[in-house]
Amino acid sequence: MVVCAALVVAPESEIYTPQELAYQPVALDYGNGTGYAGLQMLEGAMPREAVTTRAAPAHSGERIAGLLRGEFAATVVQEPWITVAEKAGCRIVSATFFHGTWVADRSVTAEAYAAFVRATTRAVRRIKADKRRYVSYFIRDFPNVPEVQALRPEDFNLGRIQLKEPGPIPEHEARWAWEWMAGWGLLEGEFACDAQINRQLETEAFAAGGPTPRPPLYPDRAERDVKGTERGRLR
Amino acid sequence: MAAPTMTIEPVRAFNGLDVLVARDEGLFVAEGLDLRIATPEPGDLRSTADGTLAHPTTSQGRLQDRGAAAMFQG
Repeated sequence: MVVCAALVVAPESEIYTPQELAYQPVALDYGNGTGYAGLQMLEGAMPREAVTTRAAPAHSGERIAGLLRGEFAATVVQEPWITVAEKAGCRIVSATFFHGTWVADRSVTAEAYAAFVRATTRAVRRIKADKRRYVSYFIRDFPNVPEVQALRPEDFNLGRIQLKEPGPIPEHEARWAWEWMAGWGLLEGEFACDAQINRQLETEAFAAGGPTPRPPLYPDRAERDVKGTERGRLR
Repeated sequence: MAAPTMTIEPVRAFNGLDVLVARDEGLFVAEGLDLRIATPEPGDLRSTADGTLAHPTTSQGRLQDRGAAAMFQG
């Protein structure tokens, strides 16, 4: 599953870009993927010392309520709350996407994991073939919340509903995520792929009929220097 | 032979639409998996508002920690 996260501001806010959130309090659900996505959006728009955040509840509805009460300058939400926020007049100042990653304990077998990825792969294909039909799931997640129940499938921006067939996490992505979190003091120590990813189980699962693993996005070093491209460098 | 069983932590549409659709449309059963979704207990729910950036208090992984689920989405 690919999750869309958006930084939103209140309707009357004078903030229109993420850069303008420098030194402004932004409410994040620390410890959740959406919260980290919010942090990355801020970090991409300002010096790290200008990133100013505060802890907020995991429930996006509570964060939007706090935003509308003027308790902070912005917050980060995911669907269906992005749509709820827009209907309430809030504005998106930045949006991003990130992969949800499954964390398994050692009891998970290759047989069970293979069946899991086969089933979810079939589901991804069905959803992508008719997203409008399936956005009702976002509404039914909150049966007792009037502002969500007021939504209709046609209210959703389907561009924010993205799914990708499951596949092995590329090592460079796992390493980058680890090092990014370590850079914020959330993890300690060096990234060790063997300690974080059970490649043997993964290989057995995909050999048992899982989807074809996507090729690594990072080619070998000798293949990286493509004519006409440049890579970022630390100065 | 009995289908393998696997229990996961609850998901919502924003992070697990594929899982919910696969469950509702019988795709786990069709692939030979008895997938179960664990139900949190009150003690599993911690408010992220109580944490700090360096020491978050998310509920994610709590059911796995106490052996009630084998996988969660982080």
